[in-house]
Amino acid sequence: MASDAMRRYPGHENFCYELETLLSNHPPGFIYIHDLEAIRTTTRVTGTILDALSTTSSSPAIFYAQVDCVTSFTARLLYENIVNTLVGWEPRWEDGCANWKDDLDTRWNENMDSFVHGLRAAHTHLSRKAGAVMDTGKGKGKAGVNSDVRLVIVIERPERLKETLPELLVPFTRLSELSRLDLSIIFLSQVGWEDIKPPLGASPDPYYVDVPPPSKEDIVRNLILNFAALCEDSPSSSPFNNPYQSSLKSLYIHFITTLCDVCYPFTHNPQELQYVAAARWPGFCKPLLDQYKACGDIDMESGEAFPPPTNDVRMRLTKTFNPTLTAALEALLPRLTNAADWALANAPPDDLLSLPRAQGVQAAGTQGGGAAQQGAALAALPRMAKFILIAAFLASTNPAKSDVRMFGRGLDERKRKRRATRAPGKTRGGGPSKVAQRLLGPAPFAIDRMIAILGALLEENDFDSRASGKQFKIPGEHTDMEIGRVGVFSYVMELTSMRLLHRTTPSDRLDGPPQFKCAISYDATLALAKELKVALNDLLWDPL
Amino acid sequence: MPAVLEEESDSSDEEVSELAIVSPKKQAFRADLNPSSNIPESLPDHLLPRFNACRRAILKSLQCPSLVLPAAAEDSVNGIAVKQLVELIDGTVLRAEGNSCLVLGPRGSGKSQMVDACLEKVAAQNPIILRLSGWVQNTDRHALREIAFQLLQQTGTSLLPDSEKVQLDDASEAEEDENPFLDSPDHLAEGPTLSLPPSSHLHALIPVLLTLSRPVVVILDAFDLFALHPRQSLLYCLLDTVQNCRASSESRGIAVIGITSRVDTVQLLEKRVKSRFSGRTIRTAPPADLETCLTMVRTILLPSNMDGCGEGEGEEEEEEEWNNLWTASVERFLAAKDVTNVFNETFTITRDFKVVARILTACIIRIKPSQPYLSFQDVSACTDLQRSRLRTTYLNKLSYPALCLLIASAHTDTAGHKSFTFEMLYDTFRNQVRALASAPVQVNGGNIGMMRCTREAFEELISANIYMCVAAPSSNIAKQFTKYRCVIDQPDVKAIIDKAGNTNLKKWLTKNQ
Repeated sequence: MASDAMRRYPGHENFCYELETLLSNHPPGFIYIHDLEAIRTTTRVTGTILDALSTTSSSPAIFYAQVDCVTSFTARLLYENIVNTLVGWEPRWEDGCANWKDDLDTRWNENMDSFVHGLRAAHTHLSRKAGAVMDTGKGKGKAGVNSDVRLVIVIERPERLKETLPELLVPFTRLSELSRLDLSIIFLSQVGWEDIKPPLGASPDPYYVDVPPPSKEDIVRNLILNFAALCEDSPSSSPFNNPYQSSLKSLYIHFITTLCDVCYPFTHNPQELQYVAAARWPGFCKPLLDQYKACGDIDMESGEAFPPPTNDVRMRLTKTFNPTLTAALEALLPRLTNAADWALANAPPDDLLSLPRAQGVQAAGTQGGGAAQQGAALAALPRMAKFILIAAFLASTNPAKSDVRMFGRGLDERKRKRRATRAPGKTRGGGPSKVAQRLLGPAPFAIDRMIAILGALLEENDFDSRASGKQFKIPGEHTDMEIGRVGVFSYVMELTSMRLLHRTTPSDRLDGPPQFKCAISYDATLALAKELKVALNDLLWDPL
Repeated sequence: MPAVLEEESDSSDEEVSELAIVSPKKQAFRADLNPSSNIPESLPDHLLPRFNACRRAILKSLQCPSLVLPAAAEDSVNGIAVKQLVELIDGTVLRAEGNSCLVLGPRGSGKSQMVDACLEKVAAQNPIILRLSGWVQNTDRHALREIAFQLLQQTGTSLLPDSEKVQLDDASEAEEDENPFLDSPDHLAEGPTLSLPPSSHLHALIPVLLTLSRPVVVILDAFDLFALHPRQSLLYCLLDTVQNCRASSESRGIAVIGITSRVDTVQLLEKRVKSRFSGRTIRTAPPADLETCLTMVRTILLPSNMDGCGEGEGEEEEEEEWNNLWTASVERFLAAKDVTNVFNETFTITRDFKVVARILTACIIRIKPSQPYLSFQDVSACTDLQRSRLRTTYLNKLSYPALCLLIASAHTDTAGHKSFTFEMLYDTFRNQVRALASAPVQVNGGNIGMMRCTREAFEELISANIYMCVAAPSSNIAKQFTKYRCVIDQPDVKAIIDKAGNTNLKKWLTKNQ
């Protein structure tokens, strides 16, 4: 019965066999399934197995409930989800979303005691039902005889339980002995039991099941298996626009193999790889479809399959699109953009295969996603705001003591001294070496200090661009006036509201200057500095 | 050594047969059994139902291993405990005594199962059994409500005809409005209701226990936790009731049985509670020596009665054939020296038989019709998984960026920084890539100039609780600057990297020393 699950999820054969044997015989009261890398797949496999087990008529009949601790974030939700799912009750809006009721009409969702009673009532109800079903099936007149019923409760992400409902953890692990039923509770987690385990041996030790991360071959097989389902889901009027059609399967196999070769080292999660594949595949097969369309000798009406691409075409496609696979991974794994947008932005031009080869590689293109958007937002800022951001970055990164050395303009124009760069990891006293502030994160600074740095920056880099005011006699007087303008302060507030600066002191504090932190990265600042022709690296205390 | 064991186990098997009903047929098989007889490697098809039934029976007995414990000897710790407990419960149920005792023993020594087994024996007298657990009933109020509920279930519903239900419900609702201090809660005992008594009446519930028409047994699981409740009022009331129980015609007897693994539980009791407690402590113990343990293993692996077999022609011969094969294979398995070593190690680490039971469960799950017998490879692999789990057993297959981050965090640790930010690790990594520029990092023959997607690997490690947050994340601190520390210590990191088998990563890690 679980052979179906085994077929659908390659790489999980051992897990399927183990879980199925466990649950269909005499399962331990508490099972802990640990999967480090592909927890969602394991969750689905578990669901499939339980589904198969509960639909086959065996003795004991198995009923299961699978609840996620993310959605069941209160005790009551958890109780209701479990018992309602076990008895197959769905609360309906018309009935006032009433919960399942047993014969005695007791409330079972209030606390752990009543939940255990609810479980028992559910068990009685189910065994009566199962008994009835069996009786009608066998035709024996044994009405009312309780047949065996086994309850299986799967709790996903129990590590959340530790945070939100810590008082429930121990009772849940002991549920089978508390309820005194044939009940097995399964925790399904990405985190090891050692990290959840309550202190003082309060919980019994579980029976451990470890799911190894899927191997590359398993993922390849898995993704290829999914192709058939994708084909069914996307019927299209014209075969020339439909990337998911069975005649392209051989190319898809080739594509998935290449994709997994490139991407597998970075993530072992089949879901993520499927996502990247979904973003790239329409673009990958589009040139081929275009070619078929151009040839035009395939009769669409007859439903004739496309001939498989020649080796040469296949090699060419691979060569063209291989660099874009890593780009896709880079943009999609952190979800800088979504698959549909990425596919649209990186769609190859029409009739790629008819273009000369070198041009084709370029045309396939790699366009970044979200990073470009943030750059655009920064580029749209006024000039003064950009200077403020650079000054804020310097104030956040350099230690305050170094300001005079870095920005001071003495009469003798002493040479600026920067900190001597030392090899990291070695200090004289044997203490830990100091970590650059750039790596530790921005430090808060007083606004006065930032304004002073801004003044130095403007004097150095902005002086020439201003119209010369006749009324300023003393050197630096003009800059002084510029940094004292209300505009500067309003820019600071505006940048704070844009979250490019963070205010670290509460806004209602009156004593002392307000403190801020810079919230843009080194790379963004470097781009700004280049635009304004500021030599940023010379102004950093810890040079990169 | 195996020869000695053989003898030992044979003699103990005789004892086992007294209680655990070993079929005489199998005894006969075992007599003419020759352990060195050749056993076919794979299972013949016609024996498949036998194989499944046998596996099912073994798994069943593995779920409650301590049931075979008393079989070891009558004068063992648990044998004495059973005798004492049976006497005590008999005293209450048959002679209407008030008794209290504490069942004390380490985890997995069979306390709860022993109590259950003893209660089974007096099931004919139909005592009211109230089960409370310190893990669930955190406060005395919860405990009282639970007592009320269980009383209702055990005394109420079965006696009451349907027509009276509504009426009584109304009556109890009306009573709720009356003054609770004047109202006696006796209706609980005499006329059961369908709703719980109002909470103001709960405190009067415990003295009522004496007036019931059947003897009462109260089982307090995790007794030590009840002693932590404020003023220990529940314990006081229960034990006071026990003391007040006098043998007379109308009283039926009450027993309070505490179950705990905490040794100093009696010292936790307040003076007034302790003086009401009888002080009887019944001790249980896990298997005392390796031989007992091995005997239990053998008893479990050779199940006496297999259920779930269809009846048909040639049943007897099949059973005989299968029993022969299975017994021979188990004997061979247990006689092997490395297998005994595994059990010896396990027994030295923990006396908890549940660990052994878990290992055996995993082994039994692993056997398939194609490889139907237990083997040393199975048992050693299962021991790694089920006994004391090392992190290295399940962490060696991390993705490449995650491994890089682990090494980087080991490096920051060596540099003296216990906590680190993502940027620090990334910087360490970048320096390494720069240093390796002449020999670029190779994964599966593909060149990885710069690592990508490290942020995701970092988050993956966080969600796997390998990196723990040092300070609570705040909206002021960008994600890449939140401080973390690594849970895995350096030797483990080394083991993980060694297993992953990437030369460049190994080299990078060795730079650490």
